[in-house]
Amino acid sequence: MVSTNTKQYLKPVSLDEAWRLMKDHGSKGKLVGGGIDVVLYGPPETEALIDVTGLGLGVIEGGKDVLGIGATATLTELLEHPATADLHSGILREVLVCVASPLLRNLATVGGAVASVHPWSDVIAVLLSLDASAVCYEEGKEIEFPLEQLLENRERLHNTLIIQVRLPRAARFAAFEKFARTGFDVGMLNCAVSVIPDGQVCNTVRMVFGGTPAIAKRLRSAEEHLEGKPLTESTIEETAQVAANALDVRDDLRASASYRRDLAAVGTRRCLKRVAERWSAGI
Amino acid sequence: MRINLNINGTQQAFEITPEEKLLDVLRREGYMGVKKGCGSGDCGACAVLFNGHAVNSCLVFAAKADGAEILTVEGLAKGRALHPIQEAFLSVGAVQCGYCTPGMVISTYDLLSRTPDPSEQEIREALSGNLCRCTGYVKQIEAVKKAAALLREDSHDA
Repeated sequence: MVSTNTKQYLKPVSLDEAWRLMKDHGSKGKLVGGGIDVVLYGPPETEALIDVTGLGLGVIEGGKDVLGIGATATLTELLEHPATADLHSGILREVLVCVASPLLRNLATVGGAVASVHPWSDVIAVLLSLDASAVCYEEGKEIEFPLEQLLENRERLHNTLIIQVRLPRAARFAAFEKFARTGFDVGMLNCAVSVIPDGQVCNTVRMVFGGTPAIAKRLRSAEEHLEGKPLTESTIEETAQVAANALDVRDDLRASASYRRDLAAVGTRRCLKRVAERWSAGI
Repeated sequence: MRINLNINGTQQAFEITPEEKLLDVLRREGYMGVKKGCGSGDCGACAVLFNGHAVNSCLVFAAKADGAEILTVEGLAKGRALHPIQEAFLSVGAVQCGYCTPGMVISTYDLLSRTPDPSEQEIREALSGNLCRCTGYVKQIEAVKKAAALLREDSHDA
């Protein structure tokens, strides 16, 4: 929890002002969107809370090629937005309804879900599987990064102002699987898969595993194995085995590495079967 | 610092410190129906309606709520007449120790204001952030169904 060292709660009204406050306070300033992570995990040296919810960053724009999700849009707003109903097999709704509880989704923001880089994040896993990018505001400029690249560059991630998450709208079939005791619970593993159909074969395959217990990452060996192949029972089974063997898993209090490896195979199988069903049904 | 809140329809101003949580301010100001449970967003005992959405008030900086409309469980009854959701919780026995009840009632209020005729799955989902250590949820789900029916009757009568 944030300690009583906090001396200021600041409410910038422009991106420039927010950026200046971030720079002025450095590591002693924390951005507040929904505020959940700052309340729960904010470092004790935090002196200034910089609330970015007054910057007009809560808009969800369903453009022709890209869905733009404002960084301070809540997970509930994204879940309920008409643009997400059938986008990429409706996977955003499928995932978000399993993220925590409505009480938390009503507060948690999309930008916060990215910036908090929780290893168990289902949101990050699904965004990576859909080739999301993040638009950041730095020194008066808007810069777009592939989300994968931004997540790998923690120094930049912790020192930038995410203003939007963008999802390409090119038709994909997608599926998600989370292994947890309850929807509210932190998962033992999650798995997000998407493919772009190219005739009868898979193109631009994305296979992402999170809670390994590390943060979600694409598993390129499994993606490459499936690329250019049809989704048959045998390719699904082979890909499941490739994923299980290649995934970097570890033990933690939630599950053992060997259990996670088994879950990776099951998750891959289930996701790819669901993708195949959706592909054949055209949804 | 000073904030303004509309609590249960009444505009009020409070002095707060920058790191204070909405839960602590509400309880300090006498809204004891907002229960302090886990303090970490797990139990839902502190749920309030924040600009129309049920949230865990233990996770909301009070300063963030400046200018917001807050509904606590105290704002539901009209005089001595309980709200239909409260009536439903009492009549089906969904209240035992009562500590989780205000949060359950607020989550129910949020659900029924958006989904007047929810399925059992939708009810379970809506209450998934509210933990009860006494009764085990069956009664609460019955209560939400009954509350939904009462509210639909009221809207037909109106």
